[in-house]
Amino acid sequence: MCRPELYMWRSMKTTSALPKSSKFPDTGVQRRFQEFLLIFRDPVLFMSLLFSGIFIFVFILLPILRTVSGGFFSKEGGLDLTYFARYFDSIYGPVLRQAFVDTMVMGLLTAFFGTLIGFIFAYATVRCNPPAKNLLHWLALLPTVSPPFALALSVILLFGRSGLITKKVLGINFVSGMNDIYGLDGLVLVQTITFFSVAYLILRAMLERLSPALEEAAASLRASRFHIFRTVTLPLLIPGIAGSFLLLFVESLADLGNPLFIAGNRTVLSAQIFLAVIGEYDYQKASALSLVLIIPTLVLFMVQRYYVNRRSYISVTGKPSGAQITEKDPIIRWAFNITAYLICAFVILLYATIVYGSFSFTWGVDFTPTLRHWTMVLTRGVEAILDTTFLSVLATPFAAFLGMVIAWLVVRKNFSGKEILDFSSNLGGAIPGTILGIGFILVFNKPSLALAMIVYAILAIFFVLVVGRNARERLIILLLGTAIGFFLTRMESMQVHYLLGGLYFILALIHFLNGRNRAGVITALLLGVYVMSANWANAFAKPIADFSRSLERGFWSNAIFQFSDHIKVLLQPPPSLLAIFLLFAGILLVQRLQQPLARLLGGIVALIIPCTMSFMEMPFALIGGAYIIMAAFIVRSLPASVRAGVASLQQIDPSIEEASNILGGDAQYTFRKVTLPLILPALLAGLIFSFTRHMTSLSAIVFLISAKWRIVTASILSEWEQGGVSIAAAYSTLIIAFVLIAIAILNIVTIRLLRGREGVDLSQL
Amino acid sequence: MYLTLENVTKVFHSRGNVGEVVAVQNVNLEIQKGELVTLLGPSGCGKTTTLRMIAGFEFPSSGRIVLDEQEINSLPPHKRNMSMVFQSYALFPHLTVFENVAYGLNVQRLSKNVIAERVGRVLDLVHLRGYGDRAPGQLSGGQQQRVALARALVMEPKVLLMDEPLSNLDAKLREEMRAEIRRIQKELNITSVYVTHDQIEAMTLSDRIVVMNEGLIEQVGTPVEIYRFPNSRFVANFIGRANFIDGVILAQQNSNATIKSLGETITLSNVKHQFREGESATLIVRPEMIQIRKSGGLYRGTIRQAVYLGDMIEYTVDVGGVTILGTETDPHVTELFAEGENVTLEFAQDHIQVLPEGKSAE
Repeated sequence: MCRPELYMWRSMKTTSALPKSSKFPDTGVQRRFQEFLLIFRDPVLFMSLLFSGIFIFVFILLPILRTVSGGFFSKEGGLDLTYFARYFDSIYGPVLRQAFVDTMVMGLLTAFFGTLIGFIFAYATVRCNPPAKNLLHWLALLPTVSPPFALALSVILLFGRSGLITKKVLGINFVSGMNDIYGLDGLVLVQTITFFSVAYLILRAMLERLSPALEEAAASLRASRFHIFRTVTLPLLIPGIAGSFLLLFVESLADLGNPLFIAGNRTVLSAQIFLAVIGEYDYQKASALSLVLIIPTLVLFMVQRYYVNRRSYISVTGKPSGAQITEKDPIIRWAFNITAYLICAFVILLYATIVYGSFSFTWGVDFTPTLRHWTMVLTRGVEAILDTTFLSVLATPFAAFLGMVIAWLVVRKNFSGKEILDFSSNLGGAIPGTILGIGFILVFNKPSLALAMIVYAILAIFFVLVVGRNARERLIILLLGTAIGFFLTRMESMQVHYLLGGLYFILALIHFLNGRNRAGVITALLLGVYVMSANWANAFAKPIADFSRSLERGFWSNAIFQFSDHIKVLLQPPPSLLAIFLLFAGILLVQRLQQPLARLLGGIVALIIPCTMSFMEMPFALIGGAYIIMAAFIVRSLPASVRAGVASLQQIDPSIEEASNILGGDAQYTFRKVTLPLILPALLAGLIFSFTRHMTSLSAIVFLISAKWRIVTASILSEWEQGGVSIAAAYSTLIIAFVLIAIAILNIVTIRLLRGREGVDLSQL
Repeated sequence: MYLTLENVTKVFHSRGNVGEVVAVQNVNLEIQKGELVTLLGPSGCGKTTTLRMIAGFEFPSSGRIVLDEQEINSLPPHKRNMSMVFQSYALFPHLTVFENVAYGLNVQRLSKNVIAERVGRVLDLVHLRGYGDRAPGQLSGGQQQRVALARALVMEPKVLLMDEPLSNLDAKLREEMRAEIRRIQKELNITSVYVTHDQIEAMTLSDRIVVMNEGLIEQVGTPVEIYRFPNSRFVANFIGRANFIDGVILAQQNSNATIKSLGETITLSNVKHQFREGESATLIVRPEMIQIRKSGGLYRGTIRQAVYLGDMIEYTVDVGGVTILGTETDPHVTELFAEGENVTLEFAQDHIQVLPEGKSAE
């Protein structure tokens, strides 16, 4: 028996008299500030946030804003509502209103039929166990990897006025007034086939994750099969169906390629905008029309994101729940299967037609096989092909990586403005590309000192906050760095590059003197050489260009000439963009310096360089160059890789990252060693999505191409306008082939790399 | 004191400032070097939030956390020299067992030899020698748990944090690992904070237990103190079982008090609180403190329910309209009472805890 006296009465009730509901003395602003400080404590985390933020602001929000507001101002800058008023007058009004109505009808019908076919495919593959299920799956995805108007082209080849089926097989002779494939009906057909994959993927994911237990429970309550479908299955799928309907609607409105090809004498908004720019060079009109298009698009997009998604009972991010219910009734099963097969057959027919079209002499007249279109494509077109591939490849890792970083920030980190980051990163893919393209022209056509100043100011303040130890140090670095940097911009460009490179050598020296930090010295030296190499780019490129000119004009001559251009892209990025990168590199470099004086000097030097870069030459005058096209690519492909990243991150237990954290890894180490390897499948998927989007995008870059930088999709369009149907078909075949090859390579890499771990989930496409 | 929490409060805000939840409120706690302290409480009591604030995954809204005389309030986790065993183990699935354990040492850029030596030693400690090349997915739950423990121990942390580390194991294994954790903790003399909702785990492992409820600390004490002298109805109910019987203080002299309850007058010798004469009080009587006999006891009652559990018999007895739970654990008693039988009850009076009425309100 223990004696109670032995146990001291140590326990204490340690609560104050504070009532539970009391307000604590931190207001919203204070809390935000604290949040900010928390993120700020980890510079790498803050850098990624800042970088994503700047990218999104400069390349997504600002262009959209400029487009939307552009319609209200005339060339002279005064308020001018002419183009909106036209919707209500009697001269332009009927046509404009008709186009608007046609656009909406097109969206509605495409969304309806696309969702319907998507559902049939999803139900067939998940529940009906069709023979050759995988083939069905991949064929359903084929439209997502082809250029936007490939199917329009093919439908015209088959059912057009001189179409293979309409003329050759059925022998129809089209006369004026007959209903041909051109017009809204043809457009909806083409768009339905183009976009049903989206609905298929959404509904398939939902069906797979629908717990069989629910339907089994209903069955055990003696509900009939139709009753179960009506009262359990369908209601649970409603969010998916609504979501895919809205997404398809948005995609349909945004589509430019198909309407340009097949709308005939009908016109829709995206095509109207395109013509306003390309035909009339009237940016005010284009902007006004853009606003009319962007309103329904945005509304639908937001309803989909914030209403439908929240209503969902099924979490689409989880794993499929294992066992699936299979359809037992043979009539229903085969009804679904056969419908899916028929649609597949149609898809195959369409794609086969494209390939066939590229090999036939004169479509509609003479179907003899020939290689003459391919010869054309491979000589005259090699420039566009190489440019497109080069820029797509170059932009791909950037897009995928940025996507992963944004996904990581959105899923794992807590900060004010997270919603905005999430939303706006998705925005670039959702809004019609034409709108983005116009915005790019409006923002980046002329050098913008204001934009350069805003971006530099944000970055410089961040720089000194991280690098400086106290207020005085920060002020010295900021003032000296900016002043000297600004002064240097007055020098001649070539000298500046040598000078800035030299500054990096000084930074390397500081690193060497301060603790012989080898990584720091080498990084600084390399950066110095890179900055200087802008001056040598021509020296590298010239011999190649000369060599190409010495060759006989043809494939090789053109191809090698392009190569000389590509070198320049790598070595001569626009200084205003390079500045952002160099500033972050500077932070990482200077952070390694321990000695106060070294830090101070290093800080000043590391700020001078990006400052000069920010303001030299013509800041942010990017139109005509390669980088603006890559930016457009990235903006368009970002949502897909963000989604892939988000889905993948949500499946990873956050405590795995916390484990790395408490074992001593900071945010950057953790991301590199733990998060990235774990989301590798998503990253690879992101690479595939991005490359595909880049290769096939048209609407966003059609205004951005220049004599120097040509893009295949735009070439297809111009060939088509000139009647080169077969050449267009050859280009399309080539793009599809390139994309498929890229997917195959990445798949092989994935299988090798992941060795048995879960493969790439393409369902986020 | 080695690790101190001073008036630590954590408020969570839902987005858009709509509502706030006080997860932890004014927690004061002092932990000595080498001590194992358990945070015990039902889910949502703030114990995990407290642990995460010590780890640095959450930052206190107010108050101070001091480690080794240095305030660490805003120090990020990777600079705190602590390590943590997670409920889900959080092993890195893409690394082998060896690489998992070596992870933290690699962050410190130690030499390969040192890492191999230290990882080997700690794998020995958790009896996993020879498992280094396996992937975490190839291990059983118990082995994964050991890897997680090894990964935390190899860092020789200032404080070892454990967040319900055993809750994913089956009962048998849990018992085994409990003893294992305590053995290693004592052997290495690591200051540890252990979060659990399992009272038995807390009782068997801890030097001291911190009972938490709704963000507040209810009581801090050794397992014996907590069990024998719960200072609130919540603690008494959460750790072990208890009857709460109303009474009135007739007289008190130091720790001896005369109390009238259930119609009888008893004298208790171990009363901690000072009561006024005539004050209402609640008696906390553990079921095993009640002796149920056919005759000879102070109280008279009727058996309402008898449940035979093997190692004991559980009786529900009606005493003058009050339902009292009693257990018979003495194997020498062969007498079994049937439902409806009249019996007498006797309390082990030295062990009864008396609380003023306010303290016992729930």
